[in-house]
Amino acid sequence: MPLKLEPISRQVDSMAQEIVDLSPAQEQFLEQARARLRSVSADALRQKLAQQRRQQIRIPWLVATPRGSLSGTTPAPSPPSDFCVIGSDASSIPPDRHSSIRYYVLNVGYALLTYGSHPDALLEATGQLCFRDEDLYVFSDKRDVPIQGVRLGARMEVESLRILQQVVGTVSRPTLALCDGPLILWTLQNETKKVRQAMLHAFLEAMALLRQAGVPLAGYISYTNARDVANSLRVWLCHTRPNEECERCDSDDRDLCLALAKIRDRDLFAFLAAGERSELFSSSSQILEEYGEHRADFFYLNVGGEIARIEVPQWVGSDAELLDFLHAAIYDQCRRSPCFPPYPPALLEAHEQAVITAAERRLVEEMVERALGQLGRRVVRSAKDDSKRRRGV
Amino acid sequence: MKTTRIGEIIETMSTGFVAQSFKLNRPPPLGSLVLVRLPAETAESSASMDLYAVVTYGRTVGLDPSRRAVRRSTDTVFDQAIYQEHPELNRTLRTEFGAMLVGFAADGLVQQHLPSQPPPLHFSVQETPIEEVRRFTHRLHYLRLLLMDSGEVSPLQVLAANVRQVYHQRGHDRVWLDAAAREIATLLKNDHQALLTVLYAIDPAESRPRLEDGRTTHLLGGGEQI
Repeated sequence: MPLKLEPISRQVDSMAQEIVDLSPAQEQFLEQARARLRSVSADALRQKLAQQRRQQIRIPWLVATPRGSLSGTTPAPSPPSDFCVIGSDASSIPPDRHSSIRYYVLNVGYALLTYGSHPDALLEATGQLCFRDEDLYVFSDKRDVPIQGVRLGARMEVESLRILQQVVGTVSRPTLALCDGPLILWTLQNETKKVRQAMLHAFLEAMALLRQAGVPLAGYISYTNARDVANSLRVWLCHTRPNEECERCDSDDRDLCLALAKIRDRDLFAFLAAGERSELFSSSSQILEEYGEHRADFFYLNVGGEIARIEVPQWVGSDAELLDFLHAAIYDQCRRSPCFPPYPPALLEAHEQAVITAAERRLVEEMVERALGQLGRRVVRSAKDDSKRRRGV
Repeated sequence: MKTTRIGEIIETMSTGFVAQSFKLNRPPPLGSLVLVRLPAETAESSASMDLYAVVTYGRTVGLDPSRRAVRRSTDTVFDQAIYQEHPELNRTLRTEFGAMLVGFAADGLVQQHLPSQPPPLHFSVQETPIEEVRRFTHRLHYLRLLLMDSGEVSPLQVLAANVRQVYHQRGHDRVWLDAAAREIATLLKNDHQALLTVLYAIDPAESRPRLEDGRTTHLLGGGEQI
């Protein structure tokens, strides 16, 4: 039966009313938070965060350590007259646990856009049917730890980065490599160290090759939900152990601290003018311990309609020339965007190359069934899946 | 005879085909005669065959039908500069054109009726060399095929566009134009308004400067007060 919309409709009204009622108070706290961003000494905050780390005080949130000032801004430099941007994205047909045949499909798309005196575009995708043990398991020798869910997501990130690294080898002018999504693969955090290392190996290797080629790399996160900087302000305001004794807290900043729990960095940094970026911040994500020299930092950038989070390896962040080019090229991408809020055309076109439609998903399934059928083998599906497909009454 | 490939067939049927133009925003002119050369192994006869078709429409759309074109211009970037600023457009847009089959040449003979087989999908569409245009349009029976509804542009406008194109390609051959006008008059003898529509559209005097006395010589015959 279809969704009963009547109760949903009443709840939607309640939700809208609550959002509107809370807005003025939230705006007030947001202004206070921005004032703290301007007034808090970055040095003092760094010291406090370092001290808490030394004392092994557990901070229950991801926090950001400022590498410069908290509220410093940098306007977008001009991009060079001739340059390239290569964006990549990946999508998949995940393994179907209801099927007797185990496989998945990866489709990695990329867009190499050349600007300046000889404008050009190369839009491509590379599809791959993954069915052998080395593709299906993290440890193929033991057929252990299947690639699915979070691990399949990480594999897609790895392949996106590898294609960037392969394509930049064909380009001679200054090039920006752009990934759709984070460079900080925090979703792998809950995996064992051995799995994390195995999955990150190719990712970090591709980063190393990009570094060798002098190509700056960025992960572009649109409409970020991150709260790292807001959380750092909470740590700054907290006089005890963060998030442990909030009920008994009698600080004047208690209300602001609790309000910060609902404030996202994209709102905090809404003061950035179009094209401006924040200073760099270091993330406290545990996964970064595995990154070595490719440890990723981030900054926020007003791309001309939204605040995007840009993650860059430290070898980019510490090289002023690379960072300026990256900043200029990303903002230039957004300036060329056909949509509002803007989104980099290199990522938009890479997505269009990577996307797998519902019809294509069915087609691959049919191809597999036909190929096996020709060899006299039938694909068996689970009773549950079969009943859902038939939907008999 | 040397020809220029201008497109590739992406839809084909007995009455015509749709082709993707090799040049973005530059389909062949409306009404122009295009050519599909079939080698012996693909033609219906044992010999090679040339199929002739008249362009009935052209359009430029997103390569992916689900992606509509959106505005790209700014105060400083517009028209051709948009394609410099957004090089991906050359890969995400496509120009296509439709063409109606009007005849074929096989074994040295020109036939002005539909071939028994549609041209194969993905075959090349070529510009028709002037000599072949002259040879094919020597007879005018093909004009009646153009009056079939092609679905996009009015058949009367396609017919008129073809006559203008051929007249131009035949080096402003007035004798041919008069013969074409007579053929059209015969075809449209029962529809006076349609006939006038075509005759006005093909009349060279309509696109020439007026005479000083405000009079001009019309295809429709004699002088006419403006």
